[in-house]
Amino acid sequence: MRAILALALFAAAPALVVSQERVPAKKLAKAEPVVVPFELLDSRHMAVMVKLNGKGPYKLIFDTGAPMNLINNRIAKDSGVLDAKNKAPAGLFGTMGQKKVALLEVGPAKLENATAVVMDHPTVAAISEALGPIDGIIGFPFFARYKATIDYQKREMTLVPNGYVPADAMEALMGKMMAAQNADKGPKIVGPAALFGFAVDKPAGDTAAGVAVTDVLKEGAAGKAGLKAGDRLLTLDARWTDTIGDTYLAASLVRVGRDVVLVVERGGQEVRLTVRPVRGV
Amino acid sequence: MRRFLAPPAFLAGLLLVLSTAPAADPVPAKAGAKAGEKGKRTEVPYRLTDTKHVMVRVKLNGKGPFNLILDTGAPAVFITKAVAKKAGVPVTEKGLSDFEKFEIEGGLVVPGAKGRVEDLFQLDGMNGMGLAGVELHGVVGYNVLAKYRVEYDFTADRLGFEEIPGFEPPGFVRISGGKGGQGQLEMMGPLMKMMASMMGIKPNFAVAPRGFVGVEYDDKDGVVITKVLTDSPAAKAGVKAGDKLLEVRSTEIETAKGLTRALAKAGVGTRLRVLVKRGSDDVELTIDLGRGL
Repeated sequence: MRAILALALFAAAPALVVSQERVPAKKLAKAEPVVVPFELLDSRHMAVMVKLNGKGPYKLIFDTGAPMNLINNRIAKDSGVLDAKNKAPAGLFGTMGQKKVALLEVGPAKLENATAVVMDHPTVAAISEALGPIDGIIGFPFFARYKATIDYQKREMTLVPNGYVPADAMEALMGKMMAAQNADKGPKIVGPAALFGFAVDKPAGDTAAGVAVTDVLKEGAAGKAGLKAGDRLLTLDARWTDTIGDTYLAASLVRVGRDVVLVVERGGQEVRLTVRPVRGV
Repeated sequence: MRRFLAPPAFLAGLLLVLSTAPAADPVPAKAGAKAGEKGKRTEVPYRLTDTKHVMVRVKLNGKGPFNLILDTGAPAVFITKAVAKKAGVPVTEKGLSDFEKFEIEGGLVVPGAKGRVEDLFQLDGMNGMGLAGVELHGVVGYNVLAKYRVEYDFTADRLGFEEIPGFEPPGFVRISGGKGGQGQLEMMGPLMKMMASMMGIKPNFAVAPRGFVGVEYDDKDGVVITKVLTDSPAAKAGVKAGDKLLEVRSTEIETAKGLTRALAKAGVGTRLRVLVKRGSDDVELTIDLGRGL
């Protein structure tokens, strides 16, 4: 169990970064929903019809686990994303790096100035060989721009533009690989985004769910909401708080002035407290 | 260097899984369900990893939480062998293992969930280099995702998981032809681990709390303390309401963001040298950061 708790503590690092990126870069005036049909392949992947710069359609896999769009060399050249006369040397698996796609159409959804990595991905090729031509992958840089709802019963995806501008995952990935060598080796320090006014602890050997609330400052936000020393904090803003680290990570995602629910166990009962943390450290 | 690093990075980041393993586990599609019927919706907290993967946390048979990526590019739930061992999930050679309880953070218990126990080379690769900024333990693929209308919106801090009444996703089909498996990519995981050790990369996923000060402030015109919490480290150090922060750890403070940055590496027990403006005087104070949030 100790090992599991340690693992849970490890789990949590990216939170601070997330909260900053979640702010939409621009507000959209009007958001019309677009419905994109998909085919359910025998491999149980979703396939969508895609046009690149008006060429196609090509059949690509829609993959929420892909941080980038990816197209193979064949359709990259066919659509002009890659100059057909291009003689630049390719990397492993025909990798040509990330290229601009002036117009990416996924069903009726249109996206200008998109990007795609050009690469002959072995798994895409394997699926293609088994199930008919599949020429790439549509991933995060596309669907992150929408509120996207996937319905496997209707075999369709509903997209509403949400103004989110995804950061370039490829640049981030490469930067991370380069930076990983000189990275700080110590644990990542995580701070709450707002002031709650209580402290928690979890002694070694305590394997129960949640963390112990050890101190509550009376005039702090949590104290005013009724949190008491001796409470067992189970969740903060619906996120599990089974370790001290997880408690701070959950708090790092709560901005000043927003109401959050703390679920605590008190005398065998679950109690829900609504806290509005304030600006402070 | 880029040319050398890029393909492994693409391959590790891209969670596309072709598996012939689930073929032994057919589930018949249930007919007669009316499309579009509304079901119960659960709000699921998530995080985007540094690699832009959508990560949720899952407790498996009450153990965990484990970090899983939502992945329509995988046919089923995949968990690592280490996670299976911790959660007491039996390993099946072919096909999927049964989970006694599969609970997604936010309160969503997925009935009858199954998954494949297998170490995906992509996760091995990302974990070996610490690319995601978080240790990854598996993926949630088609066999669970298809049970719900999942709403992704990265301007919100929750995903929506809506049950689809009466809908049972079509089961697996044996795929003939093709090379099968990952298209001979299995060597990528070990390769990335090797690269990581060659480059001297040892990812540290540990998290430590920031130290606690115990002040409220406003930041309309510089950072001005509005309240000092009784018995807090700030109170003990003699911080007073009305003090205006000039310097923290020898860094000039002009905004709340600047303060957060100055405290970015200040853990519990850090001795903080602070310069404040009190009336017309500059006062230097020493705060011993405590525990709290």
